[in-house]
Amino acid sequence: MDTVKFYLRSMKMQLKCQLQYPASFLLQTLAQLVMEGGEMLAVILIVDRFDHLNQWTAGDLYFFFGIMSVTFYLTECFGRGVTGSFPSMVRSGQLDTLLLRPRGVLTQVICWAIDPRRIACIAVGTAALVMGSRMAAVQWTFLKALALIEAMAMGGILILGLFLIEGIFTIRSVKSVELVNALTYGGRSACEYPIDVYPRPLRVLFTVIAPFALTLQCPAAYILGKPLYGWPDWAAFVTPLSGLVSFSALYLLFQHAMRHYRSTGS
Amino acid sequence: MKAYFSAFRMRWKMELQYRGAVIGGVLCQIFFGLVLVAVYRALYLGNPQTGMRLSNITTYVWLQQAFFRMLLSSDPELMDKIRTGGIAYELCRPVQLYGFYYARITAQKLMGSLLRAAPMLLFAALLPEGWGISLPASLPALLLAACGVMLGLLCVSAMECISMGFTMRTLDFRGVYALMNLLMATFAGNILPLTLFPDSWQRAITLLPYAQMLDTSIRLYTGAYALSQAPAALLIQAVWIVLLVSLGLALWARNQKKLIVQGG
Repeated sequence: MDTVKFYLRSMKMQLKCQLQYPASFLLQTLAQLVMEGGEMLAVILIVDRFDHLNQWTAGDLYFFFGIMSVTFYLTECFGRGVTGSFPSMVRSGQLDTLLLRPRGVLTQVICWAIDPRRIACIAVGTAALVMGSRMAAVQWTFLKALALIEAMAMGGILILGLFLIEGIFTIRSVKSVELVNALTYGGRSACEYPIDVYPRPLRVLFTVIAPFALTLQCPAAYILGKPLYGWPDWAAFVTPLSGLVSFSALYLLFQHAMRHYRSTGS
Repeated sequence: MKAYFSAFRMRWKMELQYRGAVIGGVLCQIFFGLVLVAVYRALYLGNPQTGMRLSNITTYVWLQQAFFRMLLSSDPELMDKIRTGGIAYELCRPVQLYGFYYARITAQKLMGSLLRAAPMLLFAALLPEGWGISLPASLPALLLAACGVMLGLLCVSAMECISMGFTMRTLDFRGVYALMNLLMATFAGNILPLTLFPDSWQRAITLLPYAQMLDTSIRLYTGAYALSQAPAALLIQAVWIVLLVSLGLALWARNQKKLIVQGG
């Protein structure tokens, strides 16, 4: 409970900091809006030219795009400490101060930063979700709403876990490894489209190693009434748990790495 | 003139230093290229387009990925100097500031993209038909495309200098810069090949400065622009270079008069 209070207070502080420069904040938020709008425009133009992608109609494609976009940017908004600040904290030796405080490192890192500019991307994603579900004529039920919430929660935890990998590498080698982006940002770009358009190696990558397909796409396909790979309905509720499994495994690795943390000094 | 040339050469050598970053960047870009090609393949095979071959789309994707660094890379040093007040030293140099930075950014973009393009194009050439890059339409087409890339480079550097000019007087440049880069990524064909935009849009988009950077050269390479259309295409590039450079020069000259040197 104490931790929750701690979290809320730091979020409030962070938000205040960010709003100190309103003009810059607005411009950057606008830039985010244009960025995600551009990505969405690409999907719209693709639909305009090609009409469909295998069995997926325009509405389905918008829905897949929306669920990925909302989940990814919600995680980046609230997990900015892990997705952005952590590597530089290790490099500068700032992490040492966190070790002295009576809270877990990860808790403090998450409290370290918030990125409210992402609200613009989340808005675009939400628009895509609504548009997609309208066009695909989704009949919303309680179970489907539950599947959507579970998918986003598990997807968010998965993304947070994947960003931990960069943290682990940074602790080990101080340098950050660009290739990790292939899993996180690459996963986002790739899994904006349904997984079954990809050749087997990419499918395996995003099903087994970075299970975006299990956490986000399996429930999305269930909601759209076109089960992924023809899997039964209950799969949409079970497979997203893989996000939690991945996160736990990576969290253990992170803890292990932290035990070997050596400060860069000064 | 010699000063600008040595600024160019220094920057060129510096870009050669970071070979580790190049390997990481190339692998990342290859990955993104494979993902894009897979999506466009599935789209194309589900609904083949008349007047457009699949290999043209995949070639477009690979050339865009290979020259990624030419479009989206910037020189943060000037921004840092403005923020810290180091700009005062720059103003003391007996060179024209615009030309100095134009030479630097051109060297960075040229060397950065050559280093990355060579291994990536080799990889893409080894991929099977319908996945990788195909041969140029003809030998003259290849040569014209190479000319186009050089003109595109001059165009993209001029655009970069304009972005810098816009941000020179604001200390926090991230917002403006992000916007400029996004326009570039979208209308240069990096997010979605310009050839896949609606046909009616293409007539206007191909005239914009963004299309001159890479799109023109790719179209020359794949033969989407026939050899008879090439002189007109290269002329449009040249016109934009002149326009963008003059605009940049004017912008920088005005900025320099009002520039505030920060701190001490």
